[in-house]
Amino acid sequence: MKRLLINILRGIRLLFYSGLIGAALFGFGVMGLVFFMSNDLPKLPQPLSRIIETPQTQIYTSSGEMLITLGERKTVPLNMISTDFINAILAIEDHRFFEHDGINKLRTLKGLYITLFKPGQVQGASTITQQLAKNLFFSFEQSFSRKFKEMLVAFQIEATCSKEEILHAYINQIHFGAGAQGVEKAARIFFDKSAVNLTLDEAALLAGLPKSPTGYNPFRHYNRALARRNVVLNRMAAVGFISPDQARQASETKPLLAAKRTDSRTGSYFLDALISRLVHIYGQDVVYYGGIRVTTTIDLKLQALAVQSIRDGLNRLDQMMGLDSTAPVRPQGALVAIDTASGAVKAMVGGRDYYESEFNRAVNSRRQPGSGFKPFVYYQAFRQMGFHPATVMTDRPVKITIKGAPDWEPKNFSKQYQGDMILKQAMTHSVNTISAQLVEQIGPGAVINLAKTCGIKSPLNEVYSIALGSSLVTPLEMASAFSTFATQGVRHEPFLIWRVEDPFGRVIYEHIIQEKQVLEPALVYQVVDMLKSVIDRGSGKSIRQHGFTRPAAGKTGTTDQYNDAWFTGFTPTLCVSIWTGFDKGRNLIDINGTGITGGRSAGPIWAQFMKEALKGQPERHFPIPENIRFETVVGATGCFEPEPVPQVLDERLTDVFQEPVPPSTSVVPLKPDQVPCPPHGKESP
Amino acid sequence: MIQQWHEPATFQEWLKRTFSFLNIGLVFFAALFIFSEFRFNWCEKLLGRYLAATNPHRPETGSIWKTGRHTLAANRFLNDIIQKKQEATQKVEQAQTFVELSSGILPGEWVTLQKEQFKSLYRSLPQSISSRLISPARLIWILSGKDLNRIFCEGAVQGLNIYFLDSQNRVIHQLTISSEDIVQIETGVQPISKNIEEIEEFSNSIFSARHFFEAVFMLPEDIIPDLILNPELLLDEKGQIQKVGIWNEAQSGFINLGFEFEANGRKRVVVVKGREWAVWQLGLILRGDTR
Repeated sequence: MKRLLINILRGIRLLFYSGLIGAALFGFGVMGLVFFMSNDLPKLPQPLSRIIETPQTQIYTSSGEMLITLGERKTVPLNMISTDFINAILAIEDHRFFEHDGINKLRTLKGLYITLFKPGQVQGASTITQQLAKNLFFSFEQSFSRKFKEMLVAFQIEATCSKEEILHAYINQIHFGAGAQGVEKAARIFFDKSAVNLTLDEAALLAGLPKSPTGYNPFRHYNRALARRNVVLNRMAAVGFISPDQARQASETKPLLAAKRTDSRTGSYFLDALISRLVHIYGQDVVYYGGIRVTTTIDLKLQALAVQSIRDGLNRLDQMMGLDSTAPVRPQGALVAIDTASGAVKAMVGGRDYYESEFNRAVNSRRQPGSGFKPFVYYQAFRQMGFHPATVMTDRPVKITIKGAPDWEPKNFSKQYQGDMILKQAMTHSVNTISAQLVEQIGPGAVINLAKTCGIKSPLNEVYSIALGSSLVTPLEMASAFSTFATQGVRHEPFLIWRVEDPFGRVIYEHIIQEKQVLEPALVYQVVDMLKSVIDRGSGKSIRQHGFTRPAAGKTGTTDQYNDAWFTGFTPTLCVSIWTGFDKGRNLIDINGTGITGGRSAGPIWAQFMKEALKGQPERHFPIPENIRFETVVGATGCFEPEPVPQVLDERLTDVFQEPVPPSTSVVPLKPDQVPCPPHGKESP
Repeated sequence: MIQQWHEPATFQEWLKRTFSFLNIGLVFFAALFIFSEFRFNWCEKLLGRYLAATNPHRPETGSIWKTGRHTLAANRFLNDIIQKKQEATQKVEQAQTFVELSSGILPGEWVTLQKEQFKSLYRSLPQSISSRLISPARLIWILSGKDLNRIFCEGAVQGLNIYFLDSQNRVIHQLTISSEDIVQIETGVQPISKNIEEIEEFSNSIFSARHFFEAVFMLPEDIIPDLILNPELLLDEKGQIQKVGIWNEAQSGFINLGFEFEANGRKRVVVVKGREWAVWQLGLILRGDTR
């Protein structure tokens, strides 16, 4: 027994002296480390409030409403912040904040123990001061060295600033997610109110966010955010800031989030495109740190309509295809609306939901426009070959020989051939074989030159199939190019920025609207008249079926295999291009196995958008050039008087004619030197 | 004196040594050290003070300083733009001629011109150039019309672009003053050191000076000023006029007239502009179509 006691005493002695020597060595080590590391520690700005002095770039709509502030941190003094919020953030982050001098030693030791001896587990031990130090100076790299430096800076902050200054700096720079830095902005974004007006439940919800701003983002994970809010409330009750009853009552409420959803990103395809343009011109520093003021072209009303129209249209498309909201891949869409008188982009939607996919299909996605390219072919044929809307051509099988490549044999969408018809009818019903014959005569190079003149900037392949839209273009380009038809051939460069000012209001850029007459007004009117017919009775008649009654012109576009479905159309004041389709790997096929055309998918979106966009505006007609006269001709012959239409014009075509062309008439605009009959278009080509 | 240390032999000896003054003191001070640190945080305070003292000598690193540098770079960039613009504006305000205006605006820079200043600059142009840029009638219409909001002048690689803008920044009319025009304004018309016969464009219409001026004086008095728009160019030239040629095509309502001067046995041609219709009438007389 005595021997055992002696052994215990020996152990205690050993432990005591080892501990003493260990502690002394540890102390010297720490001191050495402090001296060694202090030279590399970052300098602390003085006063600490300097951290919130970066000027913010402000972006406005065309009518002067604020769209977004980049890098916004609205600083508010502590007395303008709800006491509940201050208590909540203290309770959940650091309830001993007013007691320590930078670190909570017991929590730090516990955290160290868990980190060292329980691999896989993480114990947060950072005080508010440490978090401030980390946010101001350090990356999010997890290392002992970083933690140690962070701790030293926290000591310095505590030694040089009052607790109120530290809390003020912390609360005004902390990230709450959804683009909210600082409590004031967070209160505005999530509850559309000032930080001073936050109620207990709202304050607790906000205080719970900094732990995982994305994971607890209430716009995306409301229930998760509420659960976290309850943790905060319980913690507040535990440390005595509120009573358990108050915590229970608050946890039973469901705070109303702000109706206008925003996020850490811009939340807008338009803004993404705009910022990208600004960065291209001025660089990142000026855009994000320069405090510039940018007036954009966007019209908030049209933008909201565009978002809604795309959303509704794509939901309809889902229904047609039998897809529900849980489908792994759903079709996408894009919309660009351009003011024809200036080229200003008034609305832009680059996808179904920005928060699901930020890829801006309106400007970055190049897709085949299909028949949407035919207006360029027809205009060029009018200009180059002297054709006009009453020129007769034959819808027949076409084979175009290409040197060094297989023959090109385009087919009609309906797989049928209708024989003779005037070009107006060919455009109205989007007859591929006639477009192919036209491009064979004028050459694909001429079509490309015209498309580029009108504003297509994407590289276009000089192949005959350009007539059927085989080269890739963006919705922005299509809207811009069609806009040239809406303005009697006057080209405006599309633009997003009206004006840029420096922080003192001095103008550093402003857009000047330059007009360039690039097309002949009379020929443009002839094409526009055909495009009106597309909407009134052709492939785009869904526009009328969906209740859009104003004068409008446009063209559908559907590519092979139904990969892309377009509608690009315009009134005299507004030109809108809409694309729908899958990003890749799927076709637009409805539940009956039928392909979905531009008229079925994009057309109704266009109609919905335009109906609302033009509401309250006077109805405008396309101006008719002075040298245009109107003639009524027979659709199949191009002649004034109806003639008996032969059932079969050419015996070689017997097998491909499905039914005879009905003798219908059509009103066509003609120039003084254009004679509708005889059908020289049919004979002369 | 060497003291031999030995382990306590008895339990009492163990207790005696364990609770010695030295050990109790050590334990007490260690406990005091730990307790006072937990109570007063003097370690943190000490370190904090030390670091605060070394603060001015430490580097401005970390995200907050990086942000500051970005802000500084942005301010410099913006100030640079504004400064250049202010300099350009100052130069433009002082410009008396389009040559001075052009030298004040680099390609890509722009300034707003006052209406009065534009009028003054326009008046400083030789008539042959001013009329070619924009007819006086159109200019009067634009400047006194209600659409004009301001005049926007932009430097370009090939000269100057001047835009007449309405209140919506829409271009009502655009003028381009090419580098060639600017050189011509600056240097005036340079004589060509050739015989007039060597200039192909005059080859079909060369007349002796006497014949030419006889025909000129047969024109009505009010037409003659339109025939030679810049007589000073000819009056400044030394020597005698030997021959006169008429250019074979009109440009923007003007036709070039070439006057061959001879001085000290050397010939050179001064080219001036005449209004197309005045030259056409002169041509009729020269060719004997009207007498």
